[in-house]
Amino acid sequence: MATPISTIPKSVAKIRDALRATFRSGITRPIAWRQHQLYQLARMAHNERELICDALKKDLGKPKTEVLMAEVGCIIERSVKSAEQLPEWAKTEYPDVADWQKPWKPMIYKAPRGTALIISPWNYPMVLTFQPLIGAIAAGCTAVLKPSELVPTFSQLLEEIVPKYFDPNMYRVVNGAVPETSKLLELQWDHIFYTGNGRVARIIASAAAKHLTPLTLELGGKSPVIIDSAYDIDLAAKRILWGKCNNAGQICVAPDYVLVQRDKQDELVKAFRKHYNAFFPKGALDSPLFGSIVSDVHHKRLTSLLSRTKGEVVLQGRADVTRRRLEPTIVKDVADGDSLLEEELFGPILPIVPVDSLNEAVDFVNARSHPLVLYAFSDKESVKQQLVSETQSGGIAFNDTFQHLAVNELPFAGVGESGYGNQVMKYTYDTFTQLRSSIDMPKEAEPYLAIRYPPHSEEAVKALTATVYMPIPPSRL
Amino acid sequence: MSTFASTIPKIRDALQATFRSGLTRPLPWRQHQLYQLARMAQNERELICDALQKDLGKPKTEVLVSELGSIVERAVKSAKQLPEWAKTEYPDVPDRRKSWRPAIYKAPKGTVLIISPWNYPMVLSFQPLMGAIAAGCTAVLKPSELLPTFSQLLEEIVPKYLDPNAYRVVNGAVPETTKLLELQWDHIFYTGNGKVARIVASAAAKHLTPLTLELGGKSPVIIDSAYDIDLAAKRILWGKCNNAGQICVAPDYVLVQRDKQDELVNAFQKHYNAFFPKGALDSPLFGSIVSDSHYKRLTSLLSRTKGEVVLQGRTDAARRRLEPTIVKNVVDGDSLLEEEIFGPILPIVPVDSLQQAINFVNARSHPLVLYAFSENESLKQQLVSETQSGGIVFNDTFQQLAVSELPFTGVGESGYGYQFMKHTYDTFTQLRSSIDMPKGAEADLAKRYPPHSEEAVRALTAAVYKPIPASRL
Repeated sequence: MATPISTIPKSVAKIRDALRATFRSGITRPIAWRQHQLYQLARMAHNERELICDALKKDLGKPKTEVLMAEVGCIIERSVKSAEQLPEWAKTEYPDVADWQKPWKPMIYKAPRGTALIISPWNYPMVLTFQPLIGAIAAGCTAVLKPSELVPTFSQLLEEIVPKYFDPNMYRVVNGAVPETSKLLELQWDHIFYTGNGRVARIIASAAAKHLTPLTLELGGKSPVIIDSAYDIDLAAKRILWGKCNNAGQICVAPDYVLVQRDKQDELVKAFRKHYNAFFPKGALDSPLFGSIVSDVHHKRLTSLLSRTKGEVVLQGRADVTRRRLEPTIVKDVADGDSLLEEELFGPILPIVPVDSLNEAVDFVNARSHPLVLYAFSDKESVKQQLVSETQSGGIAFNDTFQHLAVNELPFAGVGESGYGNQVMKYTYDTFTQLRSSIDMPKEAEPYLAIRYPPHSEEAVKALTATVYMPIPPSRL
Repeated sequence: MSTFASTIPKIRDALQATFRSGLTRPLPWRQHQLYQLARMAQNERELICDALQKDLGKPKTEVLVSELGSIVERAVKSAKQLPEWAKTEYPDVPDRRKSWRPAIYKAPKGTVLIISPWNYPMVLSFQPLMGAIAAGCTAVLKPSELLPTFSQLLEEIVPKYLDPNAYRVVNGAVPETTKLLELQWDHIFYTGNGKVARIVASAAAKHLTPLTLELGGKSPVIIDSAYDIDLAAKRILWGKCNNAGQICVAPDYVLVQRDKQDELVNAFQKHYNAFFPKGALDSPLFGSIVSDSHYKRLTSLLSRTKGEVVLQGRTDAARRRLEPTIVKNVVDGDSLLEEEIFGPILPIVPVDSLQQAINFVNARSHPLVLYAFSENESLKQQLVSETQSGGIVFNDTFQQLAVSELPFTGVGESGYGYQFMKHTYDTFTQLRSSIDMPKGAEADLAKRYPPHSEEAVRALTAAVYKPIPASRL
């Protein structure tokens, strides 16, 4: 239930102020306290998993296995691991400096930024709400969580369970739609972490600009898949289809469209059909292992895109409007300008764009916004290197899809239209942390500092300006 | 001379095309550009000093020491360390994922915009540029129009040293800067004030451009009564005198125990006389105020102060000279506490306890740096824990900038984003994560595919049942 509109301005500002007061009280500083909060998050995910699964089933038709595996399990694992690694992350750093500066005790404190706002989307709501929160907790920040109104049962559930595990003066759920989010965005935050789409990201960035608030924007885009003809087409098809089927394609890193050599297109289509039948022997329509489309609006959006395609539908996914079901649908011979290439699909439709060379595929990708991830199937090191050098994307994953998200040690980020700011484990911690540099000048340093004071003797000037005349190595081109 | 507004999009497009051509990728190419930058600073030092003397009245020694020396040294050091920075990272992962070859590539962000201010124009234009060059980006430099001679000089010398296909100077004032900000950049690095920062951030928002904002604020100095007041006064006054106080990390105002105020004033007087035996007014070692409007701003602030002027700085409006001026018994609400002073005026605010000093600082925006003079470890810890600032410096002022390995940044109103050496490199670099899944992994990955057997479900959801350690509170 959304906070009543008339009380929004006061209550949201009051919530923010309370979180800020908590932050300033210093209660979040001790590492043991933060570790406890992280364990509480793990406990919440574990203890409340049935309610969470039910809510996501209700709101999204999301299969229970998917929720447990991709969302709940991930949060538990990463909370516990973060608690374990936190003492290491939080250590003051002592950079290695030139001998003459060592007595100055240069160091870098890890300071929490303050009070953060985390806005999460509907598609992976557990992970995309709580993964950022893990980093905020670890960093010593307080935070507001604003989950998506498109998952009402889930958001309401959060409002109930979060206060059971966390002090609401430290971590607070605020629900609502555009009016409430607007009110939140009018306030000053020490960091805003937004996961969603580019249109709303611009609104958030504009609001943040007024307060000079630093941002993390985890967005999306059309994540292309380039298939090198020499690669095992059957294996590629399997690994791509699997990535596409997660949450019925409603994930920022879903393989969006495929670029394949024209003479391999039919072989690819055959392979997709084969693996689809293996994944879903009775089809995906009624499978409890395949998700639903989040809303009627999105279902309509997807079926409309399909109806306008000029490509050839080779795997006809059945649709059920009432239950918002849409089976994986594969379309071949899709050309530039097609409806399926207009926007991020975010659904179980896979267009195949035939090309005549790898360079054409690279050009096709480069003519578009930088994607969140570029997928490529190839065994050739030179092809991989070419893609690393000649394209830009948040991540670049070879010979699989989606699976890179499982690696805790890899930073997850976009570039260009797919966003900016890193997350996952220490990277999220760093996002909510400010590096606070320090020196501590001993009294004994004074003789060495003497030359800096006016009036400068000639000798002092020589010493102070010495680096201007330092030898510059020759260029080796 | 302003760059024609209509050519600005063309300049950006040309830099983008250069970036996409891959010209900036090889490390030796980037190292060469860095060496060229060092050579430019070295070879053109006379012209640069003359320009800054003309535009700012900045003493030659200060330009050589604080601006040119730093550029030469850091450009050369960056070139040397670049191979280390640019190395692909191979994070340590659990055994079962090692075969996935997880890697983190260092990818240049693309084409960037660097907007620099008037007060330390060499360092604040070229220190960011060093990072952009090192990262493999192409860049536009937009120096401040408040320095017409210097900005014009850059337009002439930069293309002599740096490849103009990759790095360009664009000059002009509000119209040209507005045109620049209408375009999409892969990063904008802005150094200046909070008002303009908001304009830059709003423009960046339209393109989802990531930002670095290096701003300012009132950097306070807290003096613990037990500290050597004489030494504190010396080290504070020195920091204040650099560029006549026109630096983002200038000690802005001082908080000292009431019963130590006069001792502090005497010490300031003593050290001022030592620094400038004939006073600073005509000293070639003391800078001028940048413009008539800033000069007027400063004298006006002084005229409105309710504090007591104890070191009366002489003034010369024609030459925009203003000697260091110290004011004691300044209280909350005074004109000198309204905004960042950015000049050679030092207000002293007497307090009755350390806690009062901390509260005073915390009632205000987060400063770029908090200075504190104390030998009391618990006091230092208290300041670290109970305040927020970009940097926190004990027992000196300004000198922290000499440490290349310390990231320089603001927080809150003083900005965000890091610079200096590898931190600037990181600012212009995107971490591009990668895995490379071997075919042989298929057996291990088998359970992820539907339909899931019970065993597969158990394995996939095992993390849900992972034991959670007991909290130790």
